[in-house]
Formats: sequence, C-alpha cells, structure tokens
Amino acid sequence: MHSTLSFSRATTVPTTNYAFHSQSPINLRFCGLRREAFGISILTRSSSGRVRLSTRGRSKRISASTGNNGTPPKSFDYDLIIIGAGVGGHGAALHAVEKGLKTAIIEGDVVGGTCVNRGCVPSKALLAVSGRMRELQSEHHMKALGLQVSAAGYDRQGVAGHANNIASKIRSNLTNSMKALGVDILTGFGTIVGPQKVKYGKVGFTDNVVTAKDIIIATGSVPFVPKGIEVDGKTVITSDHALKLEFVPDWIAIVGSGYIGLEFSDVYTALGSEVTFIEALDQLMPGFDPEISKLAQRVLINPRKIDYHTGVFATKITPARDGKPVIIELTDAKTKEHKDTLEVDAALIATGRAPFTNGLGLENINVVTQRGFVPVDERMRVIDANGNLVPHLYCIGDANGKMMLAHAASAQGISVVEQVTGRDHVLNHLSVPAACFTHPEISMVGLTEPQAREKAVKEGFEISVAKTSFKANTKALAENEGEGLAKLIYRPDNGEILGVHIFGLHAADLIHEASNAIALGTRIQDIKFAVHAHPTLSEVLDELFKSAKVKAPASTSSPISEPVAA
Amino acid sequence: MQTQLGSAAFPRLLRRSLSYIPSILYSLHSLLNLFHFFRFLSNSAPQSQKHKEMASPFLSNTTISFSSSLSSSSLPRIAPSIPFSSIRSNSTPRRILTVRSKIREIFMPALSSTMTEGKIVSWVKSEGDVLSKGESVVVVESDKADMDVETFYDGILAAIVVGEGETAPVGAAIGILAETEDEIAEAKAKAASKSGASTPSAPPPAPAPGAASTPGPPKSTPAPAAPTVAEGPRKTVATPFAKKLAKQHKVDIESVVGTGPYGRITPEDIEAAAGLSPSKKNVGLAVVVETKPAAPAKAPAASAAPSSLPPPVPGSTVVPFTTMQAAVSKNMVESLSVPTFRVGYPVTTDALDALYEKVKPKGVTMTALLAKAAAMALAQHPLVNSSCKDGKSFTYNSNINIAVAVAINGGLITPVLQDADKLDLYLLSQKWKELVEKARAKQLQPQEYNSGTFTLSNLGMFGVDRFDAILPPGQGAIMAVGASKPTVVADADGFFSVKNKMLVNVTADHRIIYGADLAAFLQTFSKIVENPESLTL
Repeated sequence: MHSTLSFSRATTVPTTNYAFHSQSPINLRFCGLRREAFGISILTRSSSGRVRLSTRGRSKRISASTGNNGTPPKSFDYDLIIIGAGVGGHGAALHAVEKGLKTAIIEGDVVGGTCVNRGCVPSKALLAVSGRMRELQSEHHMKALGLQVSAAGYDRQGVAGHANNIASKIRSNLTNSMKALGVDILTGFGTIVGPQKVKYGKVGFTDNVVTAKDIIIATGSVPFVPKGIEVDGKTVITSDHALKLEFVPDWIAIVGSGYIGLEFSDVYTALGSEVTFIEALDQLMPGFDPEISKLAQRVLINPRKIDYHTGVFATKITPARDGKPVIIELTDAKTKEHKDTLEVDAALIATGRAPFTNGLGLENINVVTQRGFVPVDERMRVIDANGNLVPHLYCIGDANGKMMLAHAASAQGISVVEQVTGRDHVLNHLSVPAACFTHPEISMVGLTEPQAREKAVKEGFEISVAKTSFKANTKALAENEGEGLAKLIYRPDNGEILGVHIFGLHAADLIHEASNAIALGTRIQDIKFAVHAHPTLSEVLDELFKSAKVKAPASTSSPISEPVAA
Repeated sequence: MQTQLGSAAFPRLLRRSLSYIPSILYSLHSLLNLFHFFRFLSNSAPQSQKHKEMASPFLSNTTISFSSSLSSSSLPRIAPSIPFSSIRSNSTPRRILTVRSKIREIFMPALSSTMTEGKIVSWVKSEGDVLSKGESVVVVESDKADMDVETFYDGILAAIVVGEGETAPVGAAIGILAETEDEIAEAKAKAASKSGASTPSAPPPAPAPGAASTPGPPKSTPAPAAPTVAEGPRKTVATPFAKKLAKQHKVDIESVVGTGPYGRITPEDIEAAAGLSPSKKNVGLAVVVETKPAAPAKAPAASAAPSSLPPPVPGSTVVPFTTMQAAVSKNMVESLSVPTFRVGYPVTTDALDALYEKVKPKGVTMTALLAKAAAMALAQHPLVNSSCKDGKSFTYNSNINIAVAVAINGGLITPVLQDADKLDLYLLSQKWKELVEKARAKQLQPQEYNSGTFTLSNLGMFGVDRFDAILPPGQGAIMAVGASKPTVVADADGFFSVKNKMLVNVTADHRIIYGADLAAFLQTFSKIVENPESLTL
C-alpha cells in the first residue's frame, strides 16, 4: 500500500514542476542511484511496506520517474493540507508556499491557536504589565535609580483589554499573512477519512472532502485538568480563563509550577494577589536545570507573597459556591494519604497541556494515540498501530508531544515541508530554545546539567560547566538588575555546547546566541571570538563562552560545519 | 543581598575558598569547642544574641563552617528517651553509652551572621558513605548562598537526620557520623529519635511514635500541619504572606485571630499582632515588601500619608481616584507645606449687581466681573500676585492670570483667564465661555489650567455666605467669594440702610504676603467692586 501511494506522487509532478527544476542538481546526483534505489523500493513494498529513512528522498524520485509506468494518475486538490492553524500550522503553511506547494489550512476555531489566542501572546501582555508594576512597586529599586514614583495602580479592565487587543492583532496578522500568500483557509473541524483525504465542516453543515498529497496534523493541545478538579471558569480556572483576567483574587492557588504556573505567579503577585503553589514533584520548577530553578526560587518565589506545597497532588478542587471558598484537598504524592486542605479564593490549574487529537479520525488510518499524543518518528512521520510509518501523514507541535512549544511546532512544520519538497531534514530538538517570561526571565537550550552528566557517563565523555553572573555585566548593573546567572554545559575536549541556561534580565532574548550555535554546530573555541557590542547584556554570554576551558584549538576554516542532528 | 555583596565574585569566591578549608581546618579545630558551646546555648530557648554574634562572624569569616562534634553531651539525654521498640532491633542501650564518643552529629552551620536556619540543598554523600576529613558532605542553603559543608572527622555517614529540601535551625543536628561500621546501627537509632516521625528520608525501620526527644529548636517555627489533621477544632488558615510575616516577626500564628475572608489570617492581622502599622495599601494593592525587614524603613516613608487608618467599615466600597482626583489629592497634600493665613473682608455689591444686570445681556458673567475686579486690584498690588517657589525668594509674575475654580464632571479644575487685567470685560467673558466648554470636553491645554497666578473660587451662587479656600501650590493667594446678601448696615451717622454685602476671604502664603498687604489688596478690591464703572473701561 505504501508503494502505491508513493507512486501516486508521480501524478503531482506536473503541479509541482518547480520542485524538479529548482532541485535538479540533487536529482542528477541521485540519477546514478536510481536503479538500485528502485530495487529497494520494490523490495520494501513486498516486505514490510516500510521505507528506510535514508532512502526516503530517493525512493520518491524513483516513483516519480516510474510514475508513467502504468499507475493511473490521480490528482489532488492540494499539495499540502495542514489541520490546525496555530503557530505550527502557520509556520508550515508559510514555508510550504515559499516552496511552491498549493497549500490549505483547516481551522475549526480561530486562527492562531493556543499560542496567539490563549497562550504565549496574551500572557506576554499580562507579563508586560506585571513587569512594570513590579518595577514601580519596588521602592528599593526605584530609589537606587534615583526615581520617585507615587503609588502605582492598575485598572484590571485596561490590563485585560491590552491582552485581548494584542491577541486579536496578532491573529489578524497571521490570517492576513496566509491569505496574502494564497493559503486557502478552510473553516471547520478537520477529520482524516483515509489516506491523503480529509473532510472538514462545521457542525450542522455538510462536510467537504479534500485530498492532498501530504497532510500535516497540527491540532495542538488544550489545558490538562486532572480528574477530581472541577473547573467552573470563575474561581477554578485554567490558563484559558486566567488570560482574560476577569478577576484578581486576593489569594490564588496555582497547581503546577512549570512555565505556565510560574508566569502566572509573576502576574498575580504583581497585581497584588498572594499565591500558593501546589507541585506534585518534590521540587518547585521541575524541568529546569536544578541550579537555575534554585536561584529562580530564591528570586521569584521566596521574597514574594508565595508559599508552596511540594510532593502533593491536588486530588479534589471544588469551586467557591454557597458562601464557601475554593477548597483544595492535598494528597501526599507518595503515600497517597490525605495531607492538608486549603481554602483559597481561586485556583489556577497549570498542570500542563493535553493533546487535542480527538475526532481527528486517526482510527481510519489505523493510528492509535498514546495518552492522546500522535506517535511520530524523528521526522514527524506518523506511526500507525503496527509500528509502521503512515505515508504522507505528519504530525507536528503539541499534538505529537515531542516538545510542547509554539516555535518548536513551527520548526517541526518547516522540517516536514523540507522533507516533502525533497530535502531530507531532521530537526535537532536540542537546539530549540525555551523561555519563561517571569521577571527576571529564565531561558534554556539543550540539556540540563543532570541530563548532560547522564549522557556523558553513557557515552563516555567528560563535561564541564562554566558560569557567569549578571552582577559582572555593565548593562545589567546600569539597569540595576544584577540578579542573574548564565550557565554553560559543554564538552571540554571538543568544545561542543551541550546546554545553556540563563536566569536574568532579558534571558529569553539572550538564549538565541547559544541555540543558534547549537543548531549550526558552532563550537565554543570558535564562537568565543565573536564580538559583542559593549555594554550590552549579550556580553553575559560572551563572558560565558570565554570562561569555558576547551582543549581543542579554534578551527582554522569556517566555524560553521555540518548541522548537528540529534 | 545584592547591594550588600555588590561584587559578582563574592559567591564564587566563597566557593573557591572552600578548597582552602583543609589547610585551615586545624585552626578551626580549636573553634570547635566554641561552636559546641554555641550550639549548647542555642538550645536554651531565648537565643543568646550576644553569643551568636560572637560565634557566627567567626565562623562565617572562615567561610564555610563545618560542624560535627562529639555528641557526648546529647547522648545521655537521648538514650533514655528512645523507646524500646525502636532499639530492639538494634543493640542494647548499654552499648550506646559505651560508644558514645564514636558517634558524632553534624550540625547545621551558621553560614552568615544573619542566618538563623538553613535548608539542606543536597547531600553530597549518602548514608553509608565513608567520609574523610575535609570532604564535602552536604550543601546548605543560607539566606545568602549555597555552600558546601565539610566534615572534620573521618567516619561513615550513618544517618541523615534532615533530608534534602528540609530546613533546620542553626546548630541542630542534620546528620550522624559513625566512626566504624559497628556504630552505624546505633547512629541510626539515634537519628530516628532525632528526626521523630517527620523526616521521610530518615531510614529507621520503625520511627518511634511520639518520640519528641529532639531538643527544642531555638526558634519555634510554625509546625507544619500534622499528616492527619483531626477534624476537631477548625484549623488555622493563613495566607502565604501572612505566614511569611509571622515567621519574620516571630508571631505565633496559632494565637492570631483571623479577620480575613472565611476567618483567614491576613498579613494585616499579623502586622497588628506584631504591633506594626499596617502596610500601605494603594488602590487596593498591597505594596510588595521585599526581603528586607520592613518595619524600620517604613516609618519615614509613610510620613506623608496618615499611617494608621481605621479598619474599613464592613460593606464599604473602595473606588480608586481618577487621574483628575489623584491630581487634586496630590496638590492638596502638597499645600500643607505652605504656611497660610486668611483675611476676610465684607464688600458692598449694590453697584456691582446693578452693573451686572446691565451687562448681562451682552454675555458678561459674574465670574468675569469678579475676575476682572480681582485682576485690577492685583495690578495695584503685585505682591499678592507673586508666589514663593523655593521658600527663599519672591517670584513676581509679569502677567495677571486669574484661575477660576469650577466643578466639572465630578472633578475640580481651574481654567485660567490669562492677562485678566488687560482684556476688557466682554473679551474676558467670551474667553471664559470658551474655557468652560473646553473644560467640559476635557480639551483644556495645560497652560489653560496651570498658568494661574491667583485663584478665584466662588460658591456664592449656592448661598454659601463665607468659606475659606486652600491655597494651591505655586500661587501666592486665593480668594473665596461668598453670596451677596441684603444686610442691614449702619453708617457713620447712625443711619440704618440695607445694602447687598458679600464676604470675601483670601488665603495667602505668609512667607511672602503679610496681613497688611492682604488688607490693602482687599481694600482696593472692595473699592473697585463698590465703584465698578472702571470694570467696563
């Protein structure tokens, strides 16, 4: 079956002619291999139906060249259909158009998805407010700068309006950018009805069925609410509700101390709330490098009006009603015994996100989700229940659960488009940066120190750690924001960057020097010669690279080598 | 911390200096007795500040103090309290006594002069590890930084009393060091009695129930709720910040009665219990108090605003100031820094009223008439039109700009009639009409409301017979005009007659304008009003 599908690609060749023209050198390069590759293709068809990864690009070419060989031509409505117009789908669509694919995007809700409407974007608006409030409220900080500000106040409605405005602005930007490029936006919920076939439609309307050579699932995720928790959208809320900022409670419990919980604690405490964290693991801020999370705790948690319960599950949360507050039952994560009961004004459930893959019709193509996530290989190709690749079907972003970040989804989408247009590409997830927009910010790329140590032991190499402080940075001191740390985990033998973690002013903007270096395979001994403007915060990283002790000499030729694949 | 330390190198230096510790260990050795002494002291309830100060700088100067000491002092105390159930599996009580000198406790060190308790970041060694003198055993987090703590003795880490992530007061035992493997079992038994049932990471098989033999920590921190809270008396609910404040000000939270929603204990309750003035609340927002102790710093900061406000009446609503109201409030508070006095003067207005009737059809308002009269009087008394900007000099204003207070849209604004002495009455009236329209539409330009050199406030139209006004900052005087009323007056010859009289009351800055100046000005003003023909010229 797989091979028939790949043969059918031949039929699309006329519509995607440009691909052949633009990539003719590659094609020529493969010419000599054709016959042999053809053999492989036949072989795989007869056996498992699974194509080896390394021959994928080639086998496609072969099928194209043999397309006239008896297979009935079949035409598709589109080269590429993307289900879900979030940041992942949008990134993929834009890149697909750039590559000349006829592209459609199916969206059942609003364009922009979680990130734009209920996630990163509106939360940044709230955090922008909280950052300023925090600064204005810090008499100590203001005095140090010689500033006098009378009581800072805020208008909740105004703050909420700002968040909402920015979301609708970005949403229309996304919509316009796709329309302008000729991406068809199909409205309705998309369902896969068979190979290369998708139906979409609104409830109560007749469904339309469209076909495409390749399909990308990019349906994203929704807030995950553990069982036992009753979300009423008023006093027990998820990030979806919290971003509307309909009220600022005096005391709010935040269940989960990951990115989402941390960012909201920053917002709520700046607006005058007190916060209680409930974390199932033994440490707050799991997932961050331990050293960074410890420092972050000292700055972001301890001095603020925040307390916390770790190692406990919120097993039951009842919204405020009948004159009673929100009641939270805490259960010990290990002993499963009732531990405490909290009474608060509101509870925000920030326990992570669950993939939104119900109703996608995955059963029609024999794909079974794992806890809702669509199983994929490292090229985002969907794997069916038998462990075989489903041809022409990809899944990116939160729906595959590889790395639940908007920009990771977009990068995965671009990677898929590269593949379907003939260039093999594997996204190195270790080069994807992440950021938490607290004040100050936290950012990271690559491995944490424990992960790096584990890998070092397994693979038998040494690692070293270098650190620099924001206190030594002129710009940070000028801003009176010297609190912060940058940490580099690297291989002293060859200068490879394994991970960089930053906690400090504008950390989210600073991380890209490190993530780009990882993506391009730049080594420390080379990047340390790069020049940074003085005085800027970027010198924190400059100093970090310079403080690393690498045995390998700087490379004589261009420092940019082959991209490092994960 | 930031400002205290200043240098980036500080924490790093500290860490680096760790490596020198072995070389100074011997000198530290002699300190041990002192440290031990201190630990002893810290067990007696009110912590002896004097000794603490003596001991801790000492320890912190040598950086990372370490600590493990002979436990001979504590063992006898402990041995009897170990319930037999927990010892049964180990060895006999008698044996404990014989080997007591071989089991040592590792204490929570004082890593800085301000440290009262420390948190175990991580145990570098785990139970059963063999330690040699000078090795890092545990990483402790103080209020300032994380530091490695080393051991003074060779031995085996027999038991960890305070697990990772837990907190212990300075001087409390956090781990037990055994000299040989034989003593591990006893050390563990000892650890069990130390940690009681609350330490999950402590390994003893049967934690002694109710073995509350731990020597009372110097400062009693509010005990975390017991694992199984009985549903009996209602438990105390305190907000996170209330708990922090309670700890900071050493308030026993159980003794505080909560006044917050659902009877919870709020930060204000703790402040009240600690005898502090309630923290400032701005527009319903509690100002975030940073790590530093708030009490001493707050007193001067709160000087401008009354610091002790009565608690709000239940059911009251708080409506934040609009920008205009906030500006008024600010100006009013500022005005308190100016020494003012008031002079009143009765003015006969029959002639003015007659004139008003005549010019009214031409669009002239009483406001314009009064402003013109004041401006003309001011022209003769430039002092009253001056102001005192810096407390050291007079500022004579070249223009006579009459600001007139008007209530608009729930606010108060003072559109300014510029050069009121120079414009004629009709132009002035027209100008006034424009200004009022602009003010209603909120379109006044700044110089149209902040360039006044003298203010006129008239409440006469409401029947107010007299009032006094607050002098706006930046001006020398303000005139408050009451209603003109028929009044029986007796003239010099004893004849009674009825005349319309109004009371004007001028508030002035006494730094520059004295009583006689104001009296002279009012006399001139009165003459102009009583002979108003000049107003129309």
